[in-house]
Amino acid sequence: MPRALVLSLDGREFDVRITKIDREKLYGKVEIEAYDEKGNPAQLLVLAPDGKTLIDKGGTALANVDENGDSISRADLIAVDEDGEKIETVPSSFNETNVLKRSTVEDYVSQLVKSVYVIDALNDADRKYLHDHVSAGLIYNFDFSYRGGIEYDKAFVLGNKSDAFMVVGKPAELEFVKLNQAVDLDPTEEQEVSTEEISFENLT
Amino acid sequence: MPINISNSKRRDAVVALEGLVPRRTVQYLDPHRRPVRTQRLLKTDITHDLTSLMKKRKTPASLANALIKEDPEIDIEEFGMFLMETSRVYVTKKGIVHLVEEQELLYNPDGTLREKRPRKKEPQNINTDIPLKWTGKFIKKNDAVQKFIFTNKKQLVHVNGLTFDFLFEMAKTLHKKDSFLLIRGGEKGDQPVIMNRGGKAYNAFLEGRVKGESYCLILHLSNMELKRPKEVDADAEE
Repeated sequence: MPRALVLSLDGREFDVRITKIDREKLYGKVEIEAYDEKGNPAQLLVLAPDGKTLIDKGGTALANVDENGDSISRADLIAVDEDGEKIETVPSSFNETNVLKRSTVEDYVSQLVKSVYVIDALNDADRKYLHDHVSAGLIYNFDFSYRGGIEYDKAFVLGNKSDAFMVVGKPAELEFVKLNQAVDLDPTEEQEVSTEEISFENLT
Repeated sequence: MPINISNSKRRDAVVALEGLVPRRTVQYLDPHRRPVRTQRLLKTDITHDLTSLMKKRKTPASLANALIKEDPEIDIEEFGMFLMETSRVYVTKKGIVHLVEEQELLYNPDGTLREKRPRKKEPQNINTDIPLKWTGKFIKKNDAVQKFIFTNKKQLVHVNGLTFDFLFEMAKTLHKKDSFLLIRGGEKGDQPVIMNRGGKAYNAFLEGRVKGESYCLILHLSNMELKRPKEVDADAEE
């Protein structure tokens, strides 16, 4: 039985289940098959810098190395913040109550998305309570860590007409760029467009 | 990366399109408090994988014995090699091939095959003679976030004095309207945005923010709607 996540919205606590969704679950997937000139199947592999070593999936690993290139065990790593202070680990969000705080559209769209989940409250009253909030366009956030670790991601809770969702990511390094002067421009013909007019099925 | 984009007056300019990275607040140090970095290493190659090892042995049991006694799965000289610049190649039983025919297999969400067709490798359309089009189609931010997932984003940055004004005006217009602008590619301005040849196609939305004399123009890229899949598994998973 998957663990429930406890959310707290305006003082009301309730259990939800989250289910990860992605493009493949919505629209399917595309796989590539390749054949040489004679029709023999070809496999896509990674060629190492030596020009001869061929590597299949799972043939590489990431290691933490010091200035000399010596590997450092993950257990020996020290996580520090911007001031060089040691960071304490954070617990899994499944082990605590997650208080939803109001957020803005700008904050939400400023994040780099890592994963998306559908939220299902465990009982109908809570489902309606949450959906009444998010379907009205309200956006909430809380600090989220699936398994616990060094740092939280930011989880935004929002909804459409029928469901509530949790979008997890990290804030992007956006930069406001300065300029010298401004010029008035005459706008061309403008029109409001319905979101229904934009196709997603054909983006393969 | 350059991007050729037009404004509401159909004037176009080539400006810079920069990738965005997450705001980093965590650094890792070794036990002597010296910085560490992440490095990709060679773990194993195809001459040491299970299929290759089995070719030399008759039974799984004999392979198991060999794994214990001889370590045939390990190449002491090669494994652990730093992989700096790698490339992707097609390989048949005879070795690397340079000319291949690619087929695309399109599957439905339920896993059934929908279509098989020769692979289409659409060219990129963000920096061609035809600028990306300012469609004049605006979507309120609140509506957009309830409909789409912005799976990728980039920032537009000026490259000279003239393009300061060009981009600032775009940002100002979008900031005032509190809306995203649909951006399209192609001659007719009816194509999704493709960043590189054969790459993913995205619906692209431009957002502008202005703060005093500075601007921030973000190109939000989406290939996914905010909606529940028809056959989503009710079990939670990461």
